[in-house]
Amino acid sequence: MEIFENLKNDWQNQSHQIPSDKEFKMVKNKIKAVKSKQRIMNVILLATVSILVFFFFYVSAYTQSRMIWGLTLMIVPLLVRVTIELFSIRKLNKVNRGIASKAFKDILRKYYKLRKQIHFVVTPILVGLYIYGFTMLLPFFKKELSTGFYNYIVVSSVVILIVLSIFIIKEIRKELLFLSEIKLN
Amino acid sequence: MKEDINFERLYYENYNIVVRICLGYLKGNESLAQDLAQEVFVKVWESLGGFKGNSKLSTWIYRITVNTCLLELRKKKYTSDKNIEDIAEINNTEVDARKENQLKKLHGCIQHLSVEKKALILLEMEDVPQKEIADILGLSHEVVRTRIHRIKNNLKKCILNGNI
Repeated sequence: MEIFENLKNDWQNQSHQIPSDKEFKMVKNKIKAVKSKQRIMNVILLATVSILVFFFFYVSAYTQSRMIWGLTLMIVPLLVRVTIELFSIRKLNKVNRGIASKAFKDILRKYYKLRKQIHFVVTPILVGLYIYGFTMLLPFFKKELSTGFYNYIVVSSVVILIVLSIFIIKEIRKELLFLSEIKLN
Repeated sequence: MKEDINFERLYYENYNIVVRICLGYLKGNESLAQDLAQEVFVKVWESLGGFKGNSKLSTWIYRITVNTCLLELRKKKYTSDKNIEDIAEINNTEVDARKENQLKKLHGCIQHLSVEKKALILLEMEDVPQKEIADILGLSHEVVRTRIHRIKNNLKKCILNGNI
C-alpha cells in the first residue's frame, strides 16, 4: 500500500485551488442567470402550448383542406418534440442533487429509460407524421412551383432529413452510452 | 434553513475540495474543473432550501459535487489541459516534474474506473472519512471499505503497468 500512500500524498500536494472574489462574483452572476432563465423557460413553454391550442382550433375550422392538414402534420410533431425536449431538460435540472449518489443514479436510470422510450417510440412516430404531412403537400408544390424548384424542395428535404437523423442518432447513442455507464454500478 | 447559511463562507470553505473532486472527473483539466465547480455552487445555492440538516453541510456539498460531476460525464470525454512539456516548464525541479507526471498518470487511471469507483477513490484521496463517504454515496461503511481496498490495488496496477 506504500505506492498508494505516495500517490495520495502527491494528490494532496497538488496545486491548492484558491477561491477568488472574481470567481465568486461569476457564481453569483450565474445564479442570477438561472433565475431569469427559469422565467424565460416558463414563457416559452406557455407560448408553445398556447400556439398548439390556437393552431388546433384554427385548423379544425378547415378540416376539408388537404394542404392545411399537411402543414398541421408537419408543424405539430415539431412542436410536440420541442416541448418534450424542454420538459425533459427541466425535469433533469429539477432532480435533487443533494441526495446520496446511489439514489441519484436510480433517478437518472429511470429518467434515461424514459428518454429511451421517447427516442425509440415517440420520435419515430413524430418523424413518420412529419414525412406523411410533407408528402401530402407535394402535389400542391408540384402544381404551384416550377419543376426545378420542386425538385430542389424534394432533394433538399431528403438531405435535411438524413442530416437531422444522423444528428439525432448521435445524441441517442450518447445518452444510451451514459445509461449503460450508470447501469454498470 | 437557507437564511441561516452564509453562502459566501460556504463557497470559500469548500472551493478547494470541490474543484479537486471535479479535476478527478475531468482528467485533470483545470479550467473545466473550475467551470464545473461554479456549476456545483450554483446547484448548492439552488438546493439550500432543501437542506434539512440531517447530515454535515460538507457531506451534502460533496453529494452535490459527485452528482453534478456524474451528470457532466454524459457530455463528452475529457483530456488534460496540461502536457508533459508544460509541466516541466512550470516546475523547475525534476522532482516536481516527476510528481506532476505521476499525477497525470493517476488522472488517466482514474478515467478507467466506473463512475461509482471514481467517486469512491476521489473522496478517499481527499481524506474524507469512510463513514462520510458511505453517507455521500448511499452505501454501507463495510462496502465502502472493501471497494476502496480493491480500487487501491487496481490503481496501483494501473500506475505500474499502464492498465487496470
